[in-house]
Amino acid sequence: MRDWEALVDARLAGLVLDPAARAEVIAELGAHLEDACDGLQRRGMTEEEAVQCTLSQVEDWQNLRRKIQTVRTKENIMNDRVRQLWLPGLVTLLLWMGLFVLIQIFDPNHWIVARKSVWSHIVPAAVIYIPLILSLPVLGAMGAYLSASAGGSRRAVICSTVFPVSPYLVVFIVAVPAALIADRNVILTPLLVGLFAWVIFPVVGLLAGGSLVQTFVSRRLDSRRIVGC
Amino acid sequence: MIAPGIKRGTAELAVLSVLEDGPLHGYEMARRIEEQTHGSLRFTLASLYPLLYRLEKRGWVRGAWETSNGGRRRRCYRLTPQGKKKLSPIRKEWDELFRALRRLTKVSHA
Repeated sequence: MRDWEALVDARLAGLVLDPAARAEVIAELGAHLEDACDGLQRRGMTEEEAVQCTLSQVEDWQNLRRKIQTVRTKENIMNDRVRQLWLPGLVTLLLWMGLFVLIQIFDPNHWIVARKSVWSHIVPAAVIYIPLILSLPVLGAMGAYLSASAGGSRRAVICSTVFPVSPYLVVFIVAVPAALIADRNVILTPLLVGLFAWVIFPVVGLLAGGSLVQTFVSRRLDSRRIVGC
Repeated sequence: MIAPGIKRGTAELAVLSVLEDGPLHGYEMARRIEEQTHGSLRFTLASLYPLLYRLEKRGWVRGAWETSNGGRRRRCYRLTPQGKKKLSPIRKEWDELFRALRRLTKVSHA
């Protein structure tokens, strides 16, 4: 009786996994070949014919080794949730924060408003705020693209898209009510302005870019799935 | 026979569907798929196991060693609740695709 496990072990000699995982793969593939060979003999083939036919199931053992190696190791580095939600979300959040820091480094106070006037408070804020808002569709698109490309569900793509707003949202959900409870004299109007400026408008901007990309990527992935790539 | 490119796209659906009826080991899975599709879809060892390992990594199927009545140890795969949940939208996608192709190409059921 042929030792199929030994055969698989020899053909997949370059398969580098931890010893238990490797032994499991070798045993499983060996068992499959054994069953296949037995099945062919039951259908009337001679042992030699069945062995040849069974071996023809794998045209390129090196290619099979590479595929198994990839699936059983590289996909371990990040699980689906990380690739589809946390990574896209954190990348866009960091980029947005980076942009915010860059704009502050250039400090519009020095080169826009030289003298005190009504505009001395509004213009610097606008100079910081408008570029940030304008960057949001691009960042939303980036988050959506990273998430959708990693196979994220619709919910994961939307969460990744609006992720940069999450710190501000947490502030408004947790900190503001807490402040209101602690001090009943807090004026609500600036809080509402802040809510619109840092949560509502940014969400709209992020979703504008994200939804465009989501539509584009889902169409592209569908067509790729159709041709089986 | 169906061209390999098209088959690659259908592989996940085929495996998940055949596991819906109950746990199977790899060889039996391939045999059932071939039998139920009258030989149109055939999985070799090289095409089946990378796919099974990928589905297992995603948490859609789970493999466990079992010993048959004949004393042979085989790694049997079963659908996880997550895999069952995924099967329905995948089926729907393919159904939509087939309907769209039928409308487009006038290909009809035999």
